[in-house]
Amino acid sequence: MSKRFAGVVTLGVAAALALSACGGESGGGDGGGADKAAGGSVTLKLVAADYGDGPTADNSGEKFWKGVVDEFQAANSGIKVEVQVINWNDIDTQVATMVQNGQMPDILQTGDYSGFVKDGLLYKVDEVLSPNTQSDLLEKFAEFGKVDGTAYGIPFVSSARALFYNKDLFAKAGISEPPKTWDELKADAEKLKKAGVSQPFGLPLGQEEAQGESFLWFMGNGGGYKDASGQWAIDSPQNVETFTFLKELHAAGLTTPNPGTKDRKTVWEDFAAGKVGMVNGGPMSMPIFEKGGLTNYGVAAIPGKSGPLETTLGVEDWIMAFNKNGHQEEIKKFFDFFYSSSAAQKISDTYKLLPVTKSGIEKLSGDEKLKPFLDALPNATFYPFTDPKWSEVNTQIKQTIGGAVTGDPAKVLGAIQKVATAG
Amino acid sequence: MQQTSPLTRAARALAPLAWTGPAIVLIAVVVVWPVVAMIQSSFLKISRFGVVQGSNGTANYAKLFDEPDFPGVMARSVIWVVAVVAITILLSLALAQLFNQRFPGRRLARWAMIAPWAASVLMTAIIFKWMLDPEVGLLNMVRRDLGLIDALGGADADQLGQAATAMPWLIAVAVFVSLPFTTYALLAGLSTIPAEVYEAAKTDGASRLRTYWSITLPLLRPALTVATLINVMNVFNNFPIIWVMTHGQPGYSTATSTIFMFILKGSDIGESAAMSVVNFGMVIVLVAIFLKVSKWKNEVS
Repeated sequence: MSKRFAGVVTLGVAAALALSACGGESGGGDGGGADKAAGGSVTLKLVAADYGDGPTADNSGEKFWKGVVDEFQAANSGIKVEVQVINWNDIDTQVATMVQNGQMPDILQTGDYSGFVKDGLLYKVDEVLSPNTQSDLLEKFAEFGKVDGTAYGIPFVSSARALFYNKDLFAKAGISEPPKTWDELKADAEKLKKAGVSQPFGLPLGQEEAQGESFLWFMGNGGGYKDASGQWAIDSPQNVETFTFLKELHAAGLTTPNPGTKDRKTVWEDFAAGKVGMVNGGPMSMPIFEKGGLTNYGVAAIPGKSGPLETTLGVEDWIMAFNKNGHQEEIKKFFDFFYSSSAAQKISDTYKLLPVTKSGIEKLSGDEKLKPFLDALPNATFYPFTDPKWSEVNTQIKQTIGGAVTGDPAKVLGAIQKVATAG
Repeated sequence: MQQTSPLTRAARALAPLAWTGPAIVLIAVVVVWPVVAMIQSSFLKISRFGVVQGSNGTANYAKLFDEPDFPGVMARSVIWVVAVVAITILLSLALAQLFNQRFPGRRLARWAMIAPWAASVLMTAIIFKWMLDPEVGLLNMVRRDLGLIDALGGADADQLGQAATAMPWLIAVAVFVSLPFTTYALLAGLSTIPAEVYEAAKTDGASRLRTYWSITLPLLRPALTVATLINVMNVFNNFPIIWVMTHGQPGYSTATSTIFMFILKGSDIGESAAMSVVNFGMVIVLVAIFLKVSKWKNEVS
C-alpha cells in the first residue's frame, strides 16, 4: 500500500516538474525580445479558417499550413508555430469562445477583424508588418483594414464573384448566351425549367453566405447595405425591389427551393452535379465544380436589373495579430516570411483564391481562367466591414434574410435595418 | 468514553464533513458557481468578444423580451419538449415491454436498440439531413419511387426547408436518439417487478390491459419518473439536432431557446446570457410541473 502511494507521489512530483519546465520555456517568450536571448523558444498559436474540403481532403487547411510552417520553422529555429484549422461554419463562434475565455491565439486568419478592434485586442499593422510588405499590399484592400484611420487587419486573400452557367444545360434549353439583365435571367430560367432543370437559378440564402448572395443582387439594382453617405440602407426601396424580384423567381419555381435554408456549398455541389442552371460563384468554386465532374461551364459578369454589373463583390479575408501574449517580434517575422514566400501563390493554386499583393497579381496574370476575376478586383465593392455594427448585422442577415423571399421583403429587410441602426 | 473533551466532540461533529466536503466543493464549483456566473453576466454589458464593459441593469432582459422572435421561440421550445418526451415515453413503454418478453433474437434486438445511443447525436443528425436532401436524399428517392413526390429537387422534396415539415422530422430524430436510454431505463424498471404480483393478478382473473394499467404502470412509476425527468432536461437543452439539420432556419422558425441563445451569442453575449437564465428557469418550471403532476397521480392511487 505504502509502496504504491510512494509511486503516486513520485509520479506527481515528476509531472509537476515537467509542467513547470514547460511553463519556464513559454514564459521566456512572453517577456519579448530581451528574454529571448536566453535561448528559450517561442510558440506562436495560429488559428486559421479552412479553405479546403475538410481535414481529410488533400487540400485541407492543415496540410497547407503545415507546408508553410515547416518552411518557416526551418528558417527561424527559435520560433514554433502551432496551427489550429477550423471550418468556416464554426470559426467565428470558436474564436469568440477562445477570446471569452482569455485564450487568444497569437495569429488569427478569418473573415473579419473589426470586432476585435474595439476591445483593443489587436496589434496595429505597423507593429507587426515591415514597410516593404505593407507597400506590396493592394492599397484598396489594405484601406479596408483600417478602423478610424489605423490599420489593424492585414489582407490575406481576396476573391471576386461572377455568374457561372452550365453550358450543357443552356444548350439543352436552347439558350445561346448567358443573361445580362434580370428579365433575360428570368426568361432563361423559364427555358431551363421547361428543359427539366430542377433548380434553374441556384440561390443560397441560408446561414452560410446569405450576406454575399444578397449583396450581389442588391448591387444589380444600385443598392447595397449602406447608401452613398455611409448610412445603413438595408431596407432601401432598391433592395426591397430586388427581393421582390427574387420572390417572384422563387414563387415561379425558378430557384433553389426554400433559399433561406440552403448553404452555398450545397448549391454549388448541386451545380456541379448538373442540377442547377446558373449560380453565382467565384474562382474558389471552380475546384468544387470540377471535382463534381462538371467542366463545361461558362463564366460571365453577374446580370443586373438593366445590365451586367460593373462592380463585383470583392471578398477579402484577413489575418491579424493578437497582443495578449506579447510575441510581437515573432509575429512580425512570420508575417514577413508569409508574404514574401511562395505561400500566397500556393493559396491561389490550391484554392483558386486571388492574391492581395501587387507581386502576387503579377505572378498570376498569365492564368487565363483567373483573368476575368483579376481584372474585376480594382472595381470591387466590399462589405461594410469597418462598421462595428457589421458583425451583429451579418449574424442577423445570415439567419433571416432568406425570409424575404417567402415573406414580405420590406418587413424582413426592415427588421435587419432595425438591428443595424439600434443603439 | 463519557469524558470526551469539547475538542473531541467538535471533531466528531465535524467528521462527516471529511466525507461530504469533497462532494459539496464539487457541487459548488461545478454546479453553483457557473449558475451564479451566468446570472451575473446576464446583467452585464459585454462586447461581442467577451470583454465586460460594465453593468447593463436589466437592459439585456428588456432587449431579449423585445425580440420579435422571442415568444415564438419559447412556445416552440415547450412544444418541442412535450412532443419529443411524450412520443419517446410512449414508444419506449412499448419497446421495453417487448424486450422484456422472451423471443428468439432478443439479445440481438436489444443490442440493435443501443445503436442510436452509441452513435454520436451529431452524426445521426448529419445522416438524417443527408437522407432528406432534396436532390440526392435517400428518403426522397424512396418517396419519389413510391409516387409521393413528382421529382427530386423541387419544393416538395425539400422537407427541411419549411418549418411545417421540418419540425416533425426534427422531433422524429430527437425521439430516435432518446429511445435507447428511455427504453433501457424502463426495461430496468420492469425487471424489478416481482413475478408473484403478476401471478396473483392472473389468479384474480385480471385482464392483460387491467394488469398493465393497475400493476405494471404503478410499479414502473419510479423508473418512469426518472426517465421522463432526464429526458425533459436533455431534450430542452438539445442543440446538435436542430443546429445541424436546419440552423433554426428558415428565419428562426425551427429554433428552440437553446438555438436562439447560441445565435444571440454571436451578436450580444449579455442578451444571450439573459436567454440562458430564462432557459434555466424554464427547465426548473417544467420539472416542477412534472413533479407536481406525477405526485398528484400518486395521491389519487
